[in-house]
Order: sequence, then structure tokens, then C-alpha cells
Amino acid sequence: MANLIKRLLLFFFIGLITLPAFAQEPEPDDEEEDFSMYADAELADGAKRFCTNKVLDQSPNKLISIGYDFQGSHDMTVGAWGTIPATTVRVNQVSGIRLNGNVPVISKTNMLLNIGYSYWEAHYSMAQFSNNPFVSTLDTRGLRTAGLMATFFKPLNENQYFIIQAQADLNGDYFLPDFEPLSYLRYSGAAIYGWKKHDRLFYGFGMSRTYRIGEVNYVPIMLYNYTFPSRKWGIESALPVRAQLRRNFNPRTLAFFGYELEGQSYRLSNIEGIEGVKNPELRRSELRIRFTFERSLKDFIWISAQAGLRYNWNFNVDEGDFFRGFFGEQPYLFENSLTNAMYFNVSINLVSP
Amino acid sequence: MKKSVLFLMILFTGLNLFAQADADAILGVWETGSGKARVKIDKSGDKYVGRIVWLREPNDENGKPKVDKNNPDANLRVKPLLGYSMLKGFEFAGNKKWDNGTIYDPENGSTYSCTITMTDNNTLDVRGYIGVSLFGRTDVWKRVVVKKS
Repeated sequence: MANLIKRLLLFFFIGLITLPAFAQEPEPDDEEEDFSMYADAELADGAKRFCTNKVLDQSPNKLISIGYDFQGSHDMTVGAWGTIPATTVRVNQVSGIRLNGNVPVISKTNMLLNIGYSYWEAHYSMAQFSNNPFVSTLDTRGLRTAGLMATFFKPLNENQYFIIQAQADLNGDYFLPDFEPLSYLRYSGAAIYGWKKHDRLFYGFGMSRTYRIGEVNYVPIMLYNYTFPSRKWGIESALPVRAQLRRNFNPRTLAFFGYELEGQSYRLSNIEGIEGVKNPELRRSELRIRFTFERSLKDFIWISAQAGLRYNWNFNVDEGDFFRGFFGEQPYLFENSLTNAMYFNVSINLVSP
Repeated sequence: MKKSVLFLMILFTGLNLFAQADADAILGVWETGSGKARVKIDKSGDKYVGRIVWLREPNDENGKPKVDKNNPDANLRVKPLLGYSMLKGFEFAGNKKWDNGTIYDPENGSTYSCTITMTDNNTLDVRGYIGVSLFGRTDVWKRVVVKKS
């Protein structure tokens, strides 16, 4: 009897161990289930819900972007300074690579931190030789910008949030192996408080320190992202920096029409022949009115093609970096102008889930 | 000798049951970070899977139940989103982590590699990624308690 009990126990334990491995549970898909019961539910432990930073059908975040930017021919008129006379030169093209990245390093429901980088080149090809020092440094060295940025999105509840963004850029006529001193870093940033009214509307207001007009300035900023009820159209904007109308053909094919104001202040450390001028800064800003087409090539690889008009906003040179604002009367070292040019930009991108 | 074998078997069984309890801690109904959907995680064989069981907006602009219209496979675009298996193939990896699974995003018809980590009994970090975990995004899901009628 004792042996029988021992054997039964042994059989029971072996069965207990091995049964789960052989158990064939039905595929949940095969089950008929009344889903209405899941409507009447609440979060465990009274957890809070938080809004997200995107509206429905918004264009995807680009984790990595490798692009090429090209501006067609235009005229550049460089103002006189000192004994150097004014001159006008023909620019055949301005072109260069553009590398960008934006990776979420902390991605939680109640907090999102993205770290981004950028590296852009602008190579100037002049139609003829010029002994103007400013034209010469653009022709031989071009312009580069390398930057790091951090964007912190903090939802407060289901409808309210704030965003803090900080960016540091090193811009100038340097070559890659010889970065400029970090003391030439240019800092910009923004703080925004806003609301997400529903899945299709996200907006906010704030202040920014920006070099988008070429020189440092402090301007109000308004975020406005909206998807129309049809979900075929939308608006993506951060006024006054950019605004675009979005057309969603499907989740993998998008088109945009709008503008963006691009700008930076470039330290011209290597310019020669302008004795007596310390720390020349090129205030470069351009308004790009453009049409953009984006499409998924395969899964998460997207191509973006953009074409439009580049309108010169600012191409003047200051001595040193300082705040002029909208009402400052400090004169430029010399004032330049560019005629408008057509441009295009193509990039291949790895987009975020 | 027999007592030792019996003891080891009881010990093994006990450990197995505890491990199973840890692995099954993920079972239940969870609300996605956006609050737009609830997903019920079940066990299918030795894998964990998840189905959409609730949508905040269950109908499309024509008032009809939403279907998986963004699926790259045209044959699946008529399949209702309610009941859709969006989590597949998860295995318990220990230490409150389930991996080797995939997550499907009906918003864009993409399927991502996915790892799920339980940060507390009522919270899941669901990380969808492309290739390596760095290129991904974490969505935090909260457990919901279905009220008894």
C-alpha cells in the first residue's frame, strides 16, 4: 500500500512537471469573446494617463537621416568695408551633405527625452575667381555646422504638457579635423507649454532663443499640429520657424507644402585679408518655400525629396556675436545680398516606431 | 534514497510553479500609453500573445467598425481591429522580461521587434525597435481592471 501511494505521488509530480509542456491551449484568436466587457474598466491602482507628443497621422520621427542639399545658381553681392570695394559674383551652386539624428533615449509615458545631432556642409562654387576675402573663404572653405540637441517632453496629464529644448552648434568656415574652439558654440533653446485637446490637435505657446534669422534673437513660438477629421490632411507647424500643410495618401506616403526659416551665425575664423576685424560672424538665414514628398521604401527606410525656392533673409557680416534684436541699431560690418535660387534636398531616413 | 528523490522532485515542482507564476504575471488586460486601445495578453502554448479588446474610437469615419486597412498584406485589410493579434511570440526570459516577440502598429501597418519589461505589477514597458534596441520607442502600458457587472 505504501509503495502504491509512493508511486501515485511520483506519477502525480511527474505529471505536474510535464503537463504544461504538452498542454495545447487554444489560439486566443480562435476564441469567441464578448469584447464589450472591456469597455467598463479602470486603471489599476488609479494610475494616471498622459498625453503623447504626436497627433494622428503625423509624419514619423527620423532617427537617422543622410541627405544632400543643392542650391542652384544665383548672384552674391558683397558690401564694401575698409579699403575693400563692393563686388558681385556669380555662385554656380551651394551644395553639401546633411546628416541628422534624433534618438529617444528615455521614452516613457510620463517623460520623453530625445537626443539629436546634426552635421551640415555648404560648399560654394563660384563662377569666377574673386580676390574679395569674404568670397574667397566661402569658395575655398565653405561653411559647416555641427550640433547637438536635447528635447524634453513632459506630459502633465492627458491634456497638458511642456517642452524644453536646448541646442548647441559649432558653425563656421572650419574644416572637419580642425573644429573651432568650443568657446564659439552658439546656444539656442525653447520652452513651450501646451495642450493636447484630442488625438488630432496639439498646440502650445512659448519663448525661444534662436539663430534662425542669422543672429541671436528671442521670439515667441507657437506649436500647432492638427489632423483634419478626414485624416487625409493635416498641419504641422512651429511658428514662426516652419509651417506645412500635410497630405496623407496612406501611412507610408506623405506630401507637404510649406516653408521653413533656416539660419545660423557662422564664425569666420579663417578669413584672410581683413586686418583689424576681429571675430567676423556671418549671419546666414534663408526662407525655404518648398514641396516635400516622403515615402517608405521598405519598412522603416523612408526617402524624402524636397524642392523649392530659397529666399535670402540675411547674409550680412557682424563683428562678434551679440544681441541686436528687432530694434537694435548696431550697424553690420558689411551688408550682403543674394538673389533667390531654386533648391532641392534628398535624404534617406530610418524612421522611428 | 527514495526520500531524497521525492524531496528533489517536490523542490523542482515548487520552483517550476513559482517560475510559471512569474512568467504568467504578464497575463491580463493592459491599456496602451496613448489610451487609445486595450490589449489582452494571453498565453498560447508556451508563448505570450496580445489581442486588441477595446478601442477608444472603434468605428471609422463612416461609422463602421475599424479594420486593419494599413496592413501591407492586402488580404488582411478587411480584418477587424477589434480582436486583432498585435503581440506575438513572446517568451518569458526571466527577471520580469518577455522577449523574442513582435508588436504590430495598426496606425502604420508596421511590425517591430519587441521586448516587454514589467516594471511593477501594473506597469509594462513595451519597447518596439528596429534591429537594435537603441533604435526604438518605449510605450508604457498600464494594467486595467475590468469591472464585474
